[in-house]
Amino acid sequence: MVVYRRTLSTLALGLLVAAAPACKQKTDRAAAAPDTSTAASTPAPAAFAVQSVEVGKQIGSDKRVTSPSTTFAPTDTIYASVATEGTAPSKTIAAKWTFGSGKLVKADSQTIAPSGPEATEFHIVKPGGWPAGKYKVEISVDGSPAGSKEFEVRR
Amino acid sequence: MPDPKEPDFSDVESGSSSTAPPPAASGGQTYTVVPGDSLSKIAKRFYGSAGEWKKIYEANKDVIKDPDLIYPGQTFRIPGA
Repeated sequence: MVVYRRTLSTLALGLLVAAAPACKQKTDRAAAAPDTSTAASTPAPAAFAVQSVEVGKQIGSDKRVTSPSTTFAPTDTIYASVATEGTAPSKTIAAKWTFGSGKLVKADSQTIAPSGPEATEFHIVKPGGWPAGKYKVEISVDGSPAGSKEFEVRR
Repeated sequence: MPDPKEPDFSDVESGSSSTAPPPAASGGQTYTVVPGDSLSKIAKRFYGSAGEWKKIYEANKDVIKDPDLIYPGQTFRIPGA
């Protein structure tokens, strides 16, 4: 019986300890003028991050590559789609296209204010036709490398 | 003199676009939270409708962790109505 009572006491104490942080949180919220009319149980916004980089010959209205490819013809328009998630007031996504051992083909950037899953596309076209060889597109976010993709142009 | 073996990329054309909007123009309207404020109250003040609170929340997600929890002294960007 004594053992049983002790067990109950331990359980009660455990419950009190577990409830303590919740009480503290409730107090903090009350001090900050909560508004139940906007009771959206939205989780904290996710940090901005690049999810994937795809290259292909076409993109959809969602700015994503419809059919990823790593081989192109000299007359193709080449698209790179950068899928991101998270929110930020301002992020600059840059694409640097290079040929062979690093000769610059083109560099471009897009500054966005993402508010969730987004896709940003970059494309290049060469009216005179792409020289055959290996190419690379490097993606950076605010100057920091965030992904790359290699592809090839074949005649 | 350019190397004749080096490919010439001077005629390459490029472009870009995104599903994300561009950042709000700097110098726009801002509002500093006072005690008793809520996103709904601020939305009503600027847009005439409390239901527009999400517009302010979306524009300030970097500083608003929880839309039910804003603090006096916080400054929010107010997107155009």
